[in-house]
Amino acid sequence: MGAFHSVPDDHEYHILSEKTGFSLEQIGILHNRFKQLSHNSDVLRRNDLHTIPDLACNPIRSQIVEAFFDGRNFRKNCEGPVQEIGFEEFLIVMSYFRPPSVHMTEEQREDIRRHKLRFLFNMHDTDNDGTITLEEYRHVVEELLSRSGSLGRETAKGIADAAMLEVANMSMGRMGPGEVYAGITFEHFLKILKDIEIETRMHIRFLNMDTTTLCK
Amino acid sequence: MESYLFPFDNLLCMLLGISFTVWFTLLLVFIIVPAVFGVSFGIRRLYMNTLLKIFEWATLRMERGAKEKNQHLYKPYSNGIIAKEPASLEQEFQEMRRSGSGSGLGGAEFEMSDIFHFCRRGVESIVDDEVTKRFSAEELESWNLLTRSNYNFHHISTRLTVLWGVGVLIRYGILLPLRVTLAFTGVGLLVFLTSIIGLLPNGGMKCFLSEKAHLMCYRICVRALTAIITYHDSENKPKNGGICVANHTSPIDVIILASDGCYAMVGQVHGGLMGVIQRAMVKACPHIWFERSEVKDRHLVAKRLNDHVADKTKLPILIFPEGTCINNTSVMMFKKGSFEISCTVYPVAIKYDPRFGDAFWNSSKFGMVNYLLHMMSSWAIVCSVWYLPPMSREEGEDAVQFANRVKAAIARKGGLADLLWDGGLKREKVKEVFKEEQQKLYSKVLVGGGEDRSRS
Repeated sequence: MGAFHSVPDDHEYHILSEKTGFSLEQIGILHNRFKQLSHNSDVLRRNDLHTIPDLACNPIRSQIVEAFFDGRNFRKNCEGPVQEIGFEEFLIVMSYFRPPSVHMTEEQREDIRRHKLRFLFNMHDTDNDGTITLEEYRHVVEELLSRSGSLGRETAKGIADAAMLEVANMSMGRMGPGEVYAGITFEHFLKILKDIEIETRMHIRFLNMDTTTLCK
Repeated sequence: MESYLFPFDNLLCMLLGISFTVWFTLLLVFIIVPAVFGVSFGIRRLYMNTLLKIFEWATLRMERGAKEKNQHLYKPYSNGIIAKEPASLEQEFQEMRRSGSGSGLGGAEFEMSDIFHFCRRGVESIVDDEVTKRFSAEELESWNLLTRSNYNFHHISTRLTVLWGVGVLIRYGILLPLRVTLAFTGVGLLVFLTSIIGLLPNGGMKCFLSEKAHLMCYRICVRALTAIITYHDSENKPKNGGICVANHTSPIDVIILASDGCYAMVGQVHGGLMGVIQRAMVKACPHIWFERSEVKDRHLVAKRLNDHVADKTKLPILIFPEGTCINNTSVMMFKKGSFEISCTVYPVAIKYDPRFGDAFWNSSKFGMVNYLLHMMSSWAIVCSVWYLPPMSREEGEDAVQFANRVKAAIARKGGLADLLWDGGLKREKVKEVFKEEQQKLYSKVLVGGGEDRSRS
């Protein structure tokens, strides 16, 4: 039934806008979406995200959902996973996918790039020890590839191992026979992906806002 | 003291008596008698056109008012908040490899950056997805004076608020009691007449009478909802020995279809009032009611349906293959069970006009009584019914493909979006099989790329 919406505080939106960089309109629309997903409650749980059918056919859906509930992504100096998140945390995680604005200095661009890569790094590094070990990396590769399709499990493992080897070579040069590669640190991660244009690959394009504006 | 009250008392009784008689006569003459004979005075169409003019005026007034006060009008999105990447998986990966080959890995091998694509797709789904949208009632572009459909339009002008108030009075004070009376009359008559007809011996007379009785009662029910229905292509109406399939938006669909033709209904046996109606109906002509335990047994269900269609004297079966109510902007996956039965299928498309009242029943939000109350206090229910030409399963086509073909035809005719998704998603989760599809696709890109390399 059409209950009357309480129009949210403009003031709150302004604070959020400054923190995350979204415009007021975008925050309003995302707020509606948040309420739709959480069934009008103030907190979102993992189950709410799992009900989205489009998401369910994404191979790394569990990693993506975890990313929303990962304390490291909230920029608040809290670590470890949480059980439920409010709209502010939701928005902060979304801000990693914000489209780049045209007027940005080199420094700001670098900063944003670092943040996005950190987000991806956290997604791989599930035990939060600061490195992506071979095990963790293998796990992600297996999720991406089919377990029953054209690539068998052994092949998937082989691909993960090969990729790790490449990374090790790149970051540590030739390794001696006794040396063990501990894992990819964040710095190595940055080096590997320095040529990929994250700004264009990792953002969500909001449609033109002309026909959809908020009621004040 | 008493002598004062006495004349007033008498007068009051007389007035009540007169008004009641007048009201009932009008009811009888203008609504029930035409329903019995299947004719129409055209009052409902006149009503509908008047309402449309009022709504247009209201919307214009609102837009003008909003402009004067320099406010923005909330026009809900219908196409989505974000622009999704139109390129397919393969195209995007090729592009990524071409641009990012500076890292030295080159070729179509697995790269660390491949995860971006899935990551972005995942977050896009969280922000906006096709399916969750379909399970909330369709949002309107203009306002039809019902607060329930557009709660963002609060006080813009006095005239509009007054109009809205008058609307509430009319809907709840006049229309609702009228409709409730009609509904009771219709249902009561149905139970009564079918019980009587059930006493007759089986034969042509019984079928004829039962047909007339059913049609008459359903027409009264249609007027009880003030449903204004336009039937198209009636030459394709379902015939005996076939199955009629239609898209499902609300329980009212049954009444809408059954007031234009006779069908055999399929369903579970209920208790209470529904049970009484079901038992009465089955006395006059054969319907298919299943006990709760029988519903699980697919073979039994299929057998009973098969037996029914094999008998050419029995009426066509009415089935809603989506399995649940969808909000009438799209058609979801048809369950294949009804398409495994070997007979002609008569598809029917039903499209409601949302300007007058939202017919969608969100059964996880509202109960049946609540829903009926909504329906009866809306302005009207306007819908169009298209009878499509009959279809049969072709050689080499399995039930699922046939179901999809029928679904596509219905969606096209009714102007609804044809979706792959399962209506059961309103309550359950997606099957694992869909996730595997994506995985297989990605693997193919890697393996396929490897082959290219070895060739060159």
